[in-house]
Amino acid sequence: MFFVNRNIFAAETKLSVDSLVTGGGHASQLPHPVMVLPFLVLLLLIATGPIFYKHFWERNYHKISILLGLVTVSYYLGFLNDFKSVEHSVTEYISFIALLTSLFIASGSILIKVNFKAAPVSNVLFLLFGAVISNLIGTTGASMLLIRPFIKMNRERMKPYLIIFFIFIISNIGGALTPIGDPPLFLGFLRGVPFFWVIENVFPIWIIGILLTLLIFFLFDISNKKTAEAVTEKGKYLVELKGSKNLIYFAIIIISVFIDPKVMSWVPSLSPLPFGIREIIMFSVAIASFKTADLENLKANEFDFEPIKEVAYLFIGIFLTMIPALQLIAFESRVYSQYLTQATFYWSTGALSSVLDNAPTYLNFLSAAMGKFGLDINLAANVKHFVVVDEVYLRAISVGAVFFGAMTYIGNGPNFMVKSISEQAGIEMPSFFTYIIKYSLPILLPVFAIIWFLFFRG
Amino acid sequence: MYTLDEVIKNKMNGLYYGNRILLPFKAQLLKVIIESDIITDFSRSSKGIQLVEHEEFLDLYFHEYKGLSDSLSKFEAIKIVLVEEGKNIFDWNNHRKIALYLAEKHKVTIEETDADILFIE
Repeated sequence: MFFVNRNIFAAETKLSVDSLVTGGGHASQLPHPVMVLPFLVLLLLIATGPIFYKHFWERNYHKISILLGLVTVSYYLGFLNDFKSVEHSVTEYISFIALLTSLFIASGSILIKVNFKAAPVSNVLFLLFGAVISNLIGTTGASMLLIRPFIKMNRERMKPYLIIFFIFIISNIGGALTPIGDPPLFLGFLRGVPFFWVIENVFPIWIIGILLTLLIFFLFDISNKKTAEAVTEKGKYLVELKGSKNLIYFAIIIISVFIDPKVMSWVPSLSPLPFGIREIIMFSVAIASFKTADLENLKANEFDFEPIKEVAYLFIGIFLTMIPALQLIAFESRVYSQYLTQATFYWSTGALSSVLDNAPTYLNFLSAAMGKFGLDINLAANVKHFVVVDEVYLRAISVGAVFFGAMTYIGNGPNFMVKSISEQAGIEMPSFFTYIIKYSLPILLPVFAIIWFLFFRG
Repeated sequence: MYTLDEVIKNKMNGLYYGNRILLPFKAQLLKVIIESDIITDFSRSSKGIQLVEHEEFLDLYFHEYKGLSDSLSKFEAIKIVLVEEGKNIFDWNNHRKIALYLAEKHKVTIEETDADILFIE
């Protein structure tokens, strides 16, 4: 899918050839391809650690992740004298983890009790509801709020496919309609993509993706013969919400998403600090919501920092080690931009979003697609022009980045959290590879291929 | 020796020291969930957990954990599906679900799980 440009290996010192403009808007020297190794090693360890050397991995994953990240940082600072690339990645990481942490903690003391019979139809409606909600509170917020009631209503008929489809639909595909839904779309919004562009342009693809996935889920679910009679208690509430004051914290987090100098000119920039007012608000909300949390709700939700700690440590390694991979991809995309079609952008963004964080992947492919037409991603006017004239490319990149995050446990932040919560509930979740081989390849890939055939062929 | 009902009714505590938990009753364990570890192998060759039955209590050693209090938050439970000693293990109605919480002074709070706790047998 990607082309290897021999110039990378042959002309490492020629800045004019081996340089690129990153998503951060600065020129940087192209890294040596061997520097992709720390990233590949980290991915391999994330995939194999929990299966083959679980307890060693649990005790040491944070050290390994940071160590591999530091290898990349040392290379950029020591060999390339490129501080900007590292700074840019750290800034994006802080934004990413601030949003995830605040939503995780705020949702930790919200307890949703459901008292209706889990059955294929009610499960389909629940997942559809979650898909819609994920556009209002983000895939992370929706996943954290809804995974526990979903497990509870299905407790008598629990099988791993229920959780897998939850990840597919609520943690990923659902959030493709608004910039709040998924981080890559938010980054696009910050760059100048109008807020309602996504829903106006992606909705037909979203509805087909959601309906196809729900249809497959329904077929799985009707073959689940176990009933859920035991869950239903007659005469009691249908849905009960405890800890509703935390919805205010949720609202603050969602509003704070827009408190950015690029969106509101009156918001002061804290540069050169690698975070802004928005991140300060998010972390403050996280602290406040934990301090004021209802202890009974925390206990009922078995609140633990471990899932967010795991995401925080693994993703700092991922964000740092993936800098060379993303820069090389961006460079190659530009070199071969004349060959890149909407289909290439759809599959390439998707394939990389499956294993990389989808936010920077989105930005780099957007940059490459705009570069194809001589436009600069760092100029909002150019972005606005691009979304009007060449919208099919942005549509392909947006859908690829959001939908394909469901392909692996590491494709999107909430995937790992949902897996972790499910395991704590006693559900034996499939391993990293089983998830891919048994579920995402046979279920999602055909759905994504249909979407490609209908919308991005050519 | 106490029965599980007596332990729960009288809110009796267990104890923990490092990776060891002492429960004031005897039972056959069917499933233990600690963090994301789901343990169903209680044979002698199992590396995950070791059970030692005493006259008056039950010992659980979690070999993969150095200190339980380092791994579990105060809101997090060790969840156990068990059958009290002397009761028919094959009768589903005898399967009890309990949650253990680590408290101060090495105490372990023992509670029967309610509908709020996520616990799939």
